[in-house]
Amino acid sequence: MSSTYRDGSSASQPYQDPTPLPASVPKVNELGTTSAPLKSAAFFIGAHCKEFNGLCPSSDAVTQDFMLCKAENRDPAHCLKEGRRVTRCATDLITKMRENCLSQFEEHWQCLEYNNQEYQFCRKPERALNKCMFEKLGLVKTIPGSPKGVKPIHEVENPIYGRMQK
Amino acid sequence: MPVPWEALIPFGLVTAMFGAAGTLLNFSKREQNYGKGPRYHIDSWDAMMMDRDKRITGHARLQKSDTTAPVGFETSSVWYTQRAQ
Repeated sequence: MSSTYRDGSSASQPYQDPTPLPASVPKVNELGTTSAPLKSAAFFIGAHCKEFNGLCPSSDAVTQDFMLCKAENRDPAHCLKEGRRVTRCATDLITKMRENCLSQFEEHWQCLEYNNQEYQFCRKPERALNKCMFEKLGLVKTIPGSPKGVKPIHEVENPIYGRMQK
Repeated sequence: MPVPWEALIPFGLVTAMFGAAGTLLNFSKREQNYGKGPRYHIDSWDAMMMDRDKRITGHARLQKSDTTAPVGFETSSVWYTQRAQ
């Protein structure tokens, strides 16, 4: 049994990274939210993390900083600080969302899960969630890059495309 | 004249078999996906997110909306050792 090749798919233990981050890197708890709630909260994370300052009062546009940093260099080690800020901001927002708008949030992401995580089939719960978020937290969903003068697609009253069958 | 109802039995059988096959397939798909339909049009982003969901909850279709990550989540990602695609 000296050097038999063992493929990763036949591993008996789940994968564990043999080289975790060193202790010199500050530890931030990872965001344990799965994909559907994140997709539901996506635009609010964008709106909230524009003003979130984290620990440094002079920083703003947390997500924009991270994207610009990544555009410079794709190496994971280059953008650790901005990544930590994004994680903290997103964790903060999801916690606030759950405190204030839990039922609307749950309804929207469960609707997304029933519809292949596509937004166009879940406008009704989305409107309720947007209304609650605006009232409680003052956050508005805006789609960046949408043409001006035209109603954004999430505000169109009777869209022409709907579900084909349940 | 009596109606030849026996001739309609095969039609009924075929319809019932189609219905049974469709129902069984639908039921099987729903059971595999926790009561929801299967995901379709999955691109590499969706595949990555579904793999992340599996690392968090244990199954690619199970969702969790609170922010606490399971123990060992930080080191369970295979991404760093995967071949670049």
